[in-house]
Amino acid sequence: MTPALTPAATAERLCELSTEVRAAVLLDAAGVPAAVHGVPREASNELAELARGLFEAVDRAHRDLPGGPPEQVEVQVDGGAVYASRTSRWTLAAVARRTALSSLTLMDLRAVLGELEDGRPIRRSTAAGERTAAEPATEEAAANESPIPELGQEP
Amino acid sequence: MKEKRKGPIGIAADLAQGFSATMRRMQREREPRLLVYDETGYARLVQPDGRGYERLLESAEQMVALVAQAEAEREPRRPRAGRDSLAEEDDA
Repeated sequence: MTPALTPAATAERLCELSTEVRAAVLLDAAGVPAAVHGVPREASNELAELARGLFEAVDRAHRDLPGGPPEQVEVQVDGGAVYASRTSRWTLAAVARRTALSSLTLMDLRAVLGELEDGRPIRRSTAAGERTAAEPATEEAAANESPIPELGQEP
Repeated sequence: MKEKRKGPIGIAADLAQGFSATMRRMQREREPRLLVYDETGYARLVQPDGRGYERLLESAEQMVALVAQAEAEREPRRPRAGRDSLAEEDDA
């Protein structure tokens, strides 16, 4: 069984999961940094402060939206992009490359926050090419393969 | 239907059109873009004259700059090829 994700490991987990993410910071409900990854220790407080300012600005300007206060923010600037997602307990902000796909990066942020809050492990799949490179394809293996991999091996 | 131009002028016009489209696309990609999403995932584009636009943009730019600086410091410095390396060789 995989160990549950701890707040301290969350920022690193996001950087490991999403190759386009260069740095990440996790803040608790009070805005205190719980984890920072991708910047040196001396710059971590500054990054956390800026991440906190991001949602403060959003809350000040967009509190009255019909769908409720925004839960996610995306800012594309020259040289990179900033993504942030929050729950009632945590805020996770990430600095990514400008080439990062918004929907995928935001999905990664939500998945990591979900893993932190509910302990739901993120399911990662390997590409068929990678698998065949490791194990030589045989007729026997192909016969045992399930047409629906999510359901596992057929009896 | 738009009639296709023929001849050298037509080719030059097509090239110019393609070039200007590329420039427009590159400029659009460089432009800042701010989006906020509500809990259902509905996205709203924050307009440049919208509330909080400047502050959000400033925070994001500072975050990107901070990370870029950290990455630059982390990368090992490579010796410059050319004059410096030649001078080192001469010294040896």
